[in-house]
Amino acid sequence: MNYFKYYKSIILICLCSLVMANVQAQNEWEVTTEQDKNLSPFMFDDEMVLEGKISYENSCTSCHGMPGQADYTPMAPPPGDPGSNQFQLQNDGALFHKIKLGRGAMPKFEDVFADDETWNIIAYIRSFNENYKQPIPDLGGVEIPKYDLKLAFDENVDKLVVKVFSKEIPQPEVEVSAFVKGTFGKLLLGKIQTNELGIAYLDVDPKLPGDAEGKLHIMVKATKGYALAKLNQKMKIVQPTIRKSAIEGRHIWSTDKMAPIWLKVSFFITIFGVWAVLFFIVFGFRNIKKAGREDDVMIE
Amino acid sequence: MNDTLSKEILTDDQIEQDLLKNINWGNKFKLWLAFLAVSLIICLYFYYQQIEHGLGVTGLHDYVSWGIYISNFVFFVATSLIGMLISSVLGLMNVSWVKPLARIAELVAVAFAMVAGLIIITDMGRPDRLLNVFMHGRVQSPIVWDIAVVVTYVAISILLLYIPLLPDIALCRDKLKNVPKWQQKMYKILALGWKGKAKQFKLMNNYTRILLILIIPIALSIHTVTSWLFAMTLRSGWDSPIFGPYFVSGAFVAGCAAVIITMYFFQKNYKLDKYITIDHFDRMGRLLVLVALVYVYFNINEIIVPAYKTNTADAKHVQEMLSGHESIMFWMVQLGGLIIPFLLILFRPMRRPLPLMLISIVILTGAWFKRVLIVVPTQLAPYYPIQNVPEKWTHYMPTVPEIAITTGSFILVLIIMSVLAKLFPVIPIWEIKEEINHNKN
Repeated sequence: MNYFKYYKSIILICLCSLVMANVQAQNEWEVTTEQDKNLSPFMFDDEMVLEGKISYENSCTSCHGMPGQADYTPMAPPPGDPGSNQFQLQNDGALFHKIKLGRGAMPKFEDVFADDETWNIIAYIRSFNENYKQPIPDLGGVEIPKYDLKLAFDENVDKLVVKVFSKEIPQPEVEVSAFVKGTFGKLLLGKIQTNELGIAYLDVDPKLPGDAEGKLHIMVKATKGYALAKLNQKMKIVQPTIRKSAIEGRHIWSTDKMAPIWLKVSFFITIFGVWAVLFFIVFGFRNIKKAGREDDVMIE
Repeated sequence: MNDTLSKEILTDDQIEQDLLKNINWGNKFKLWLAFLAVSLIICLYFYYQQIEHGLGVTGLHDYVSWGIYISNFVFFVATSLIGMLISSVLGLMNVSWVKPLARIAELVAVAFAMVAGLIIITDMGRPDRLLNVFMHGRVQSPIVWDIAVVVTYVAISILLLYIPLLPDIALCRDKLKNVPKWQQKMYKILALGWKGKAKQFKLMNNYTRILLILIIPIALSIHTVTSWLFAMTLRSGWDSPIFGPYFVSGAFVAGCAAVIITMYFFQKNYKLDKYITIDHFDRMGRLLVLVALVYVYFNINEIIVPAYKTNTADAKHVQEMLSGHESIMFWMVQLGGLIIPFLLILFRPMRRPLPLMLISIVILTGAWFKRVLIVVPTQLAPYYPIQNVPEKWTHYMPTVPEIAITTGSFILVLIIMSVLAKLFPVIPIWEIKEEINHNKN
């Protein structure tokens, strides 16, 4: 009897939500012109796409599936494939707005993602559209500056010094982020704005493992608006790492060369010792023979 | 005082006559040898097949690369260990009743140890590359240690069989005039000009004593090193620090059983009941109870300690044994091959020659299957699951050639023991004479 009750209520809830969804689907998903015209403050690049991919897979795949595969969850209304024209024909501003506010079954991500993270997701979605060309706003004749980066290491305070110039003029308030490239990923050293002298200081742990020469592979990125500069540089910062062979050390069984001396000594001494005794006895047969030939008188 | 020997007063002549009687090439023996030879040739044909077509003719595969060949090797090494226990440990302790049995024990030791080395070769897919093992062997490898100690043990066992045999060979040389010429010549060479002089006895006793002492560590190490072949490998069921003593104690059980069986057949065939008496069987039975008790103790340790830990790979291995896939064989071996026989021998009537011999055959069979249980199941439970391989690789079943080659090793042991028992007296004549003279006085 109880089961029946449960079934009834479950069916009821399902029906209700279906009706609600349909009602909402009939409403237009309104985006104001201003919102539609909103543009990304960053140029989309591979890193944004990569970070967007991670956010997308964590928060969007469950309904929208893999972009371009049309493997979204069958729901009413359908969530749709972000790789499809239905999505790609919309402006960046409209996508930004819809992700932020949501509607019906589409949750509101305003509180989940910061603006730049939302733009990462859009960068990722756009990466499935070969024809997409990112619109850049009218900057009113202002040129996008080209940054030059200079790196140094202050070993007194263990800080990485990043200087940002444009046409040899130091650039203040530039967002600088620095990473150390590792074997399987990158380690964030910090994100900081340059000071009025165009310098950003980032802490480096001097115990980080470097290469054989004590060098770390530093990756620095400087952004401000649409201006972007990147620099990869190997810098002598930490102590050299002496790499040991994986089969070095206490692996007595690995190769013949690794045989410890105590083992060789005890093995060969034992074996040769025992065989020496055996040969002594075999040679002793001659004595037995000789003793047989001797006269009894001589023994007594 | 030796009270196991017959109470009858025996003269030296009679002893010589009784104990030299077995040295003849009777028709019965020729028939027996021919039977063995034909059986061996059949088995060798299967070995020829294996050389021709490789190890593919066996049931061995990528996972179980040590099947009944290596189990059989372990069994042979185990059985050969008894020579050390009887002639050396008991001999040095002046346990006088074992004296008539010492040579039989040495015979068993030599035969089994010699063939053990050959069994390793049958497990090699390319026996023509055997020399590489010696040329490129690493001193860290337990297999190299094993080869070294097995070869050494065979050498010591042969010397220990040969040196106390000198007075008896001289006796054969002097008394046996109706044997073939080559045999007379052989006795003459092997007797080393033995004239029974005091100095010769002194030298012989010295050498025997050295060998008796030397054989104890070597014998312990052959089976300990054999156990290390397994224990030094990180595999569930093998990775155990008590494997050395566990194997050694098991070896004494198998060896005692083998000696009892050999004793029985020598006594019956060569009519030696005045020298191998009911009392000897009784005492060997008691010795078997003692070593079986030690072995049971090690078995309990080997099972209960990993089983207590419930979730390790070793515990799963034990679980397979106790109630899983291997449980039928496991309980047959443990109860049928060890516990029940050992409980039976506790009763005196069961220690009479015939029942004791039959029980020993059961124990020896159990001991053989016990080695299979040690060697095979572990290989079928690797840490990485067996997947994407042919279905037959998930289990192991020996094939006909494999069984035939293994049988061949037993036939070879029987041939070695039969021939040696036909060439030399199986009971040390001079020691019996001494013993009886001693008793008389």
